Amino acid sequence: MKNRGLSLVLMGGLLAATGCELPPVDTVATGFRGTGMEHVSNPGTVADSMRAIAARIQPASGTAPAAMEPAPPGTWENVQVLGHLSEAEFNRFMLNMTIWVAQGTGQGCNYCHVVDSEGVVDFVSDNIYTKVVSRDMISMTQDLNANWETHVGEAGVNCWTCHQGQALPTNYWFFADERRGALIQNFVNAPRQPERYLLDEEGVRVQSGAALTADVDNPVSTNDTRHAYWVMLQMTEALGVNCTYCHMSPRWGDWEESPPTRTTALRGVRMTRELNQSYMLPLQNAWPAERLGPMGDGPKIQCATCHMGAYIPQYGHPASHGQDHPAITQIGFPHAGSPAPTMEMDPEAPPTGAAPGAATTGAGMR
Amino acid sequence: MAEYQNLFTQVQVRHAHDPGVPTADDSERLPDHGFSYWLGKIGDAQLGPVHLGFAGVIALITGGLSIFLMGMVMLASVGWDPVQFVRLLPWLSVEPPTPEWGLRIPPLNEGGWWIWCGFLLTVSIFAWWYRMYSRARTLGMGTHVAWSFAAAIWLYLVLGFIRPVLMGTWSEAVPFGLFPHLDWTAAFSIRYGNLFYNPFHMLSIAFLYGSALLFAMHAATILAVAKMGGEREIDQITDRGTAAERSQLFWRWTMGFNATMESIHRWAWWFAALTVITGGIGIVLTGTAVDNWYLWGQKHGLVPDYPQVWGDPVPALQPGEADGQLLAPPADGFPGLDTSMNGVFTLPGTELQVTFADATLLQEMGR
Repeated sequence: MKNRGLSLVLMGGLLAATGCELPPVDTVATGFRGTGMEHVSNPGTVADSMRAIAARIQPASGTAPAAMEPAPPGTWENVQVLGHLSEAEFNRFMLNMTIWVAQGTGQGCNYCHVVDSEGVVDFVSDNIYTKVVSRDMISMTQDLNANWETHVGEAGVNCWTCHQGQALPTNYWFFADERRGALIQNFVNAPRQPERYLLDEEGVRVQSGAALTADVDNPVSTNDTRHAYWVMLQMTEALGVNCTYCHMSPRWGDWEESPPTRTTALRGVRMTRELNQSYMLPLQNAWPAERLGPMGDGPKIQCATCHMGAYIPQYGHPASHGQDHPAITQIGFPHAGSPAPTMEMDPEAPPTGAAPGAATTGAGMR
Repeated sequence: MAEYQNLFTQVQVRHAHDPGVPTADDSERLPDHGFSYWLGKIGDAQLGPVHLGFAGVIALITGGLSIFLMGMVMLASVGWDPVQFVRLLPWLSVEPPTPEWGLRIPPLNEGGWWIWCGFLLTVSIFAWWYRMYSRARTLGMGTHVAWSFAAAIWLYLVLGFIRPVLMGTWSEAVPFGLFPHLDWTAAFSIRYGNLFYNPFHMLSIAFLYGSALLFAMHAATILAVAKMGGEREIDQITDRGTAAERSQLFWRWTMGFNATMESIHRWAWWFAALTVITGGIGIVLTGTAVDNWYLWGQKHGLVPDYPQVWGDPVPALQPGEADGQLLAPPADGFPGLDTSMNGVFTLPGTELQVTFADATLLQEMGR
């Protein structure tokens, strides 16, 4: 009896010591001996998330055409960013988007296309915010697949990679509300959000290039360094990795001795900044009130938006790849007669009232 | 205290109150005392007498006030919400002033509370130190305990006072808080190029681990000869019994050398004290003399030239791509977000209701 009690205590202590994760934990050395470069992962946790991914997979419908001519003029009205598609590919993409993004809403096409007063779906109208946002998101995905291969690779991404069949991805961020601002102020001496690094805040480096204080003017304080530490932590949490996945532990800043993953991550940071600036901020006045954060800003993306705890989003499942969808791997253009894309709502159109899907507000990540 | 016990003869005798040896100021001994069966399991069953004295009263008041203030500042930081206080306690913090205050004393909410908490805590620690010193003197003992405590106070003062003063800003000091002070420690090492390459940090770790090793060796040795009366160490310094002879022969057999019943305690005392003394030297040099310990180590042949196991950073960095900036001073609030403009507006010409949050952004977008 006594031994059983002791072993229970020991097991409890072991669980507490391993952060309440069930062992075993895999550790793989990745760098030169003695440098402490290692990748730590829990095969049980990884297997669980891969099973969860497999369970929610919705295979994309159809296959990409071998060759494709843009649809002839007059095929559509008001198609601003998908003019490079054939009619068949256009329809296939619309169908897939319904699965990738609108499935959870249960509204099908109507999530982004308004029903007019006679009960007919009006595919032309822009008088619904979800359509305006979708168009912007399509442009964004075209941009990142075509221009950020250095981060997303040849396979690229599609809407499902982040949306997972839901109108809102699981992770996104807003400017912190005042209450959290007060908390943060207490934490770091200043209202700083780690996520700001993925929008408009440049510079996270804290180490200088000289051994002696007398030889260098490095104004970064220890307490400021805690901010850099949190910026990095939001990245490790998003990717499910530890510091040494990207950094040489004896010297964080040294590129010569950094693994290639750090280069990929650097480009991911640059990409996220550009996407937030070029595609998320301009949507600001398209969002309805229920999509805004406590400071009144629209949702913005972060590493976790796509990565969701995996160092490759969805652990590289083919269903998350964009490469079979020319709609989002090439930069689109307006169909003949359609206007160039703006984030403007149509001021001439009659109002339709509240946007659909208002009840599906997701919980934003801190 | 007429009886003698050791690990193998656990007898708890309830006897008349034993006030201990007579000294010059017996008046200050609190007469209350008691016996505790469970204390008797790990030590002497008699509780008390406690000597509080003037220094003890000061230490309890200032120390209690310091902890109370820390708690209130943390509670205020969660809007006086007790549930959030409990939930977030490990992350709550009393922060030192920001760098622009230098060594001046800021208003309470901008770091002033940190100064007060630190000041009261320091007074408490010094009063406690004096209490240890004066009690030892009164009993006619040496003051070794007080001086080993002073070694720890040196490290405490380096972290919270001496180094911040040398750096010219309170902001370099450690925040009060559970995770915040751990985050500070990590950040300190990151900022100054990895503290593991600081030779005084190396010494401190060597003394720390050495203390644990000595502690284990000594405790194990004495327990091993307890049945021969080995724990009566002080007797055996002058009057060697079989326990002392056997334990010392044991170490000569196993490693050729033995500490004496007296010198083992000097070993242990110096290892413990040097842990914090060398640690404090390492901290005080960081940022004042050395800005990057890794590069300092390279300069002095301490750091090996690690091979590039990944070859060039792949995929290859473009020239200038990896050029980054140093962490900039914090942005003042959220520029570009004018919350005074927050509200629901009606789009001109329609009845569409949209929420405009950002006047500046709207202007830039020409709307």
